[in-house]
Amino acid sequence: MKPNQKDVEATRFKYLFLLPALILIFAVVIYPFIYNIVISLSNMSMSHFHDWQIVGFRQYAKVFSEPIFYSVLGKTVVWTIVNVFFHVVIGVFLAVLLNRYLPGKGIFRTLLIIPWAMPQYITALTWRGMFNYEYGAINLILSRLLHLPMVQWLKNPTDAFAACILTNIWLGFPFMMVIAYGGLQSIPKELYEVADVDGASGWQKFWKITVPHLRPVMIPAIVLGVIWTFNNLNVIWLVSNGGEPSDKTHILVSYVYKAAFNLYRYGYAAALSMVIFFILLLFGINFIRKTRATEGAY
Amino acid sequence: MRRRGISKLKLVAIYIFLILFTAATLYPVVRVFSISLRPGNRLLSTSLRIIPDGATFEAYRRLFTETDFLRWMLNSLIVSLAVTLTGVIFASAAGYIFSKYRFIGKKVGLTALLTTQMFPATMLLLPMYIMISKLGLINSYLGLIVVYLATVLPFCIWQMKGYYDTIPDSLHEAAIIDGCSHFQAFYKVILPLAAPALVITALFSFMGSWSEYIVAAVILQDQSMFTLPLGLKMFQANMSTDWGLYAAGSVIVSIPVVVLFIILSKWLVSGLTLGSVKG
Amino acid sequence: MRRYIIFIFVGVFLFSCGKRQKEKTITIWHQMQIEGRETLERACKEYSAAHPDLKIVTLYKETEELRSAFQTASLAGGGPQIIYGPSDQVGPFSRMRLILPLEELFSTDSLEKFDRMSLTYFEGHLYQIGDRIGNHLALVYNKALIPEPPKDTDELIKLGKQLTKDIDGDGRIDRYALVWNYTEPYFFIPFLGGFGGWVMDENAHPTLDTKATIDALRFVVALRDSVAIIPKECDYDMADALFKEGRAAMIINGPWSWGGYMKSGLDIGIACIPKISKTGLWPTPMVSPKGYSINRNTKSDILPDVVNLIYYLTSPSVELEFTRTLGTIPSRLEAQRDSIVISNPIISASREQLARGRPMPVVPELRAIWDAMRPAYQAVLGGAMTPEEAAKMMQKDAEKKIKEMNE
Repeated sequence: MKPNQKDVEATRFKYLFLLPALILIFAVVIYPFIYNIVISLSNMSMSHFHDWQIVGFRQYAKVFSEPIFYSVLGKTVVWTIVNVFFHVVIGVFLAVLLNRYLPGKGIFRTLLIIPWAMPQYITALTWRGMFNYEYGAINLILSRLLHLPMVQWLKNPTDAFAACILTNIWLGFPFMMVIAYGGLQSIPKELYEVADVDGASGWQKFWKITVPHLRPVMIPAIVLGVIWTFNNLNVIWLVSNGGEPSDKTHILVSYVYKAAFNLYRYGYAAALSMVIFFILLLFGINFIRKTRATEGAY
Repeated sequence: MRRRGISKLKLVAIYIFLILFTAATLYPVVRVFSISLRPGNRLLSTSLRIIPDGATFEAYRRLFTETDFLRWMLNSLIVSLAVTLTGVIFASAAGYIFSKYRFIGKKVGLTALLTTQMFPATMLLLPMYIMISKLGLINSYLGLIVVYLATVLPFCIWQMKGYYDTIPDSLHEAAIIDGCSHFQAFYKVILPLAAPALVITALFSFMGSWSEYIVAAVILQDQSMFTLPLGLKMFQANMSTDWGLYAAGSVIVSIPVVVLFIILSKWLVSGLTLGSVKG
Repeated sequence: MRRYIIFIFVGVFLFSCGKRQKEKTITIWHQMQIEGRETLERACKEYSAAHPDLKIVTLYKETEELRSAFQTASLAGGGPQIIYGPSDQVGPFSRMRLILPLEELFSTDSLEKFDRMSLTYFEGHLYQIGDRIGNHLALVYNKALIPEPPKDTDELIKLGKQLTKDIDGDGRIDRYALVWNYTEPYFFIPFLGGFGGWVMDENAHPTLDTKATIDALRFVVALRDSVAIIPKECDYDMADALFKEGRAAMIINGPWSWGGYMKSGLDIGIACIPKISKTGLWPTPMVSPKGYSINRNTKSDILPDVVNLIYYLTSPSVELEFTRTLGTIPSRLEAQRDSIVISNPIISASREQLARGRPMPVVPELRAIWDAMRPAYQAVLGGAMTPEEAAKMMQKDAEKKIKEMNE
């Protein structure tokens, strides 16, 4: 029968298209993931490196019993929200700006992705240099151009944390800009023309036309932006030189990293990683439910 | 006309803003460039001059003549292009199904894709190494490419799905009713419209493998197989990094990305608009 | 005819395959800087030329990464046969059972030819054979700015006040007397010793809550604030830049950096870090050899080759090759008597400082101590803590971290 044949074709098509990618992704991820669950329940450490044993939830209890966990978690949340907020706002703003009629906009578009293109290691350290009290560019601009007091960026925990955030905003906005720019291409120009005829203001057009159309493209970028930022080790590590001053600029991952590699506490670090995983899982599920991101056209 | 006058003024304001913003954005990059010209191998300088005293291209000369830089670049290109190509194929396919078809476990599947990104990468290295070495994929590009694909695909699939969502369902439905197979409806009707998303997927896949360091360091143990980030890392040492080489390498490393972006930009600004198709 | 040619081809092919299978590979992971790497590679090439069945692969990894990568590889049952690095990796590696005891593999006679400092023992076993000793901090001075280095801290302060100057009169200091990476506890150790303290006792128990720690902390803060001869903010790269630009007359840094200073055209001299006038003691930088250890996963059939390779890499001729390129102090007594070691003024000065240093503990507890010292130390520098509070906190944290680490 004909309709049946069509159904068979549709099913085959679906799986042929879907499964290769899914199998590949989960094949790579599943073993390391299970391994970590096991290690998180073990006492693996320097003295039990080869001969570790399952000890139950002791490591988890340790994670939650330490007050530092909560303060670092708080910082991680601030870090994530502030970063992603500015990534998205700056990114969308620039994308909208560059999407309008503007001769030579291609040059700006290309130049503005360079922070994304350059290896993070050196740009992050360059930023660290720019935050130096006496010789850094930022203080020189503050004091000489703007006549503001100089800031001892890297000495004070709050300022050092702000320095890390500033650096990461710089590193992250080009990505969001490109995503938003791609998203803007799907908006039919006619919609704006109709709105113009209706006498809508630019602001109205942005909220009524641009934002709803950007949503499907930006939501995955935002969800993943949050996840990646939450777990972004590099910038904090490099700009604050491993949590300086006084281990006050850690976020959860840099803290995990320190536990795992500096003090060889593998079991503890694995448990903390699982906690990070569950925090992000909770966030992810909630965010998706609120934004209905998994729901497509059907 | 009044409107034109305003928009001209606005245009100038936009240009001024863009120029200032771009200049500020590029400043750290320019600093990196000036490190690469600096004699005597210094990361920092107390001077704000862009062209340092005694500027020299020595680092670039050394990079190309005394190191395996070109070899690393070639290796990186092989890996990144392989990831980009397969990434675009896999993501455009899987994203399409997630957007346009109904099936059991769709929501779970999409969420599960996200969960693969949630685990701190540093903790996955140890088991990853064990797995890769048991599979005999240490020192192979295949192993590296597969891992890279697994890390970039979740985002790419979501991103493709999001873009397909903005394309009305009536298009591929009509094509199928007109007698197209499902594949033809995808390939001939929808895919060309999704060009901007394909560009982003390509760029992201490329970047994901072009600048990736930690996984590569686990898998590649032979210097002649090194990719660029591993090669650059060779100039880096505890308290005695060769900053000149490192900076010069970083400048060169970012060039292919920019070139790729310029090439892809053509499709990022898709000539086709939905309106023209619909009409 | 054709058939014969095919036979020959197949024969050659099989033969070459067979030969390849017989070929043994020894892999060395190390953390030598670029110049050192070249010397190592050259030495290995020479060795494998003399031993055609042996292939030697060297792989550079940055110190910390070398450690974690080695742990990972070792847990998976693999890894390089030889690992080269500073002696403080011996403690953790042996505790994790990653490396082999060496005393049975190397003859006592041969070990006697080494400077005793270069043989790293841990819990009664030899785990590392050094090819160089030292690697310690010393005072480097720019001869154009200061012809004679200060002998003690009183002199340092007097000279320092003359040297620290606002040259162009814009209200900002353009030249400092002294710079160093003072945010890092490793660079604080010389002063700790100079005030009579040390990081731990023989039982690896931290000894940080002492008057010596408090005095040393006060001293560093005073150099910055009241005496004001060091910059307000100074990490490694900033210190390095200031010294290379001639904006600092002296720097405290290790042998890894000296070559770079000479290369950037400075006329430098090396001296001991000035004696602490208040106590009459010399500062005590940590002294540590670097050397080779053997992976436990090394297959027994290749072990003799690995041992021989280490013999070769620590032979006087190879060590002197390193001395020639890097100015390191060789570990073989015979090499230490060589003219290129004796006649080099930098090496002589470095050995003088070495004699005043103290060996870096190799116990893993040291890492916990660094981790405990860093936050409190930086808090004192940032003004968030008094030296007394910091000393207490260092001790408490160190004890806690050691407990956690040894769980």
